[in-house]
Amino acid sequence: MTARPTLAALTWRIAADVNRTVGGGHAAIELMRRSFARSGWLRDVDHALLVAVSRFTPGTNVLAYSAGLGWMSHRLGGVAAALLASSLPGALVVTVSSLIVSRLARYSAVRMALAAATLVAAWLILSSAWALVRPHVLGARRLWAIGTALAAVGLFAAGVTPVRVLLVAAAWGLLFPVRGDAT
Amino acid sequence: MSLWLLYGLLLKATMTSFSGMGSLPQVRQDFVVTHGVLADDQLSHAVLLGRSTPGPVGVYVVSVGYLVAGWPGAVVGWLALVTPALAAVPLLVVIRRLHHLPRVRGSIDAIVVAGGALLLPAAIQLARDAFSVLAAGMG
Repeated sequence: MTARPTLAALTWRIAADVNRTVGGGHAAIELMRRSFARSGWLRDVDHALLVAVSRFTPGTNVLAYSAGLGWMSHRLGGVAAALLASSLPGALVVTVSSLIVSRLARYSAVRMALAAATLVAAWLILSSAWALVRPHVLGARRLWAIGTALAAVGLFAAGVTPVRVLLVAAAWGLLFPVRGDAT
Repeated sequence: MSLWLLYGLLLKATMTSFSGMGSLPQVRQDFVVTHGVLADDQLSHAVLLGRSTPGPVGVYVVSVGYLVAGWPGAVVGWLALVTPALAAVPLLVVIRRLHHLPRVRGSIDAIVVAGGALLLPAAIQLARDAFSVLAAGMG
């Protein structure tokens, strides 16, 4: 991290970013990347590291990403604050609305509003994907990066689980060491 | 079902998955098939809530906990949701220490590129689901 947010700022930023997305953690991660980078609290290299760690951490990716962000800025206090901020509001909403929302979802207007929100989330996920692969696809090792990306999608399309695809990628990457600034 | 067993089963599901919805097959197996404390339509409602509530999709396990054991179950579900994320800290420490090694950097680069590429099918699936709902609503 280039600068460190206060614990309150960290908590508020994570709570605001994670709890205003619908449809999955990738969109929330992209929102956090944007707002933390804008404030000078997160470098691209740290974001890539956190994404890699969150992919290999069991459970929900966005919670692992948040925990990593918290650890980078405030160690265990940051982890606790980040996990509370990223999970508690949603958990409360889900609990309180367990019966209500299932009834409201029968109404087409509500379903369409949720679908529109999901489209926004899909766009954010695509943006997140591009932010991750862009430095590699446009960098010195572009052919390697494009081949790796295509192989990953191909393996997934062939029915290989995401974790196994990433394990194969990890082993594949060991064969191509990165020295200096070559990305 | 005791709260300890509820926590153990939900934790087993979340610890053995690597995405929010990845725990669903194990949750269904344990709560619907093996123990019979949840019906399929209740699980569907929990999943719908997880997908339509702002925040992590994996938060549906909180709803599962609530449906099985009320408010204490919801607390247990939340604990099972956040517990695996703690593993990110030692992973982060180890990877940061090794990050300067060329082969480790190559490996992390490959994980990042593959991880980014894997987002594409997820985004397409979400968009397709959304378009089908919108089309049905307009039709």
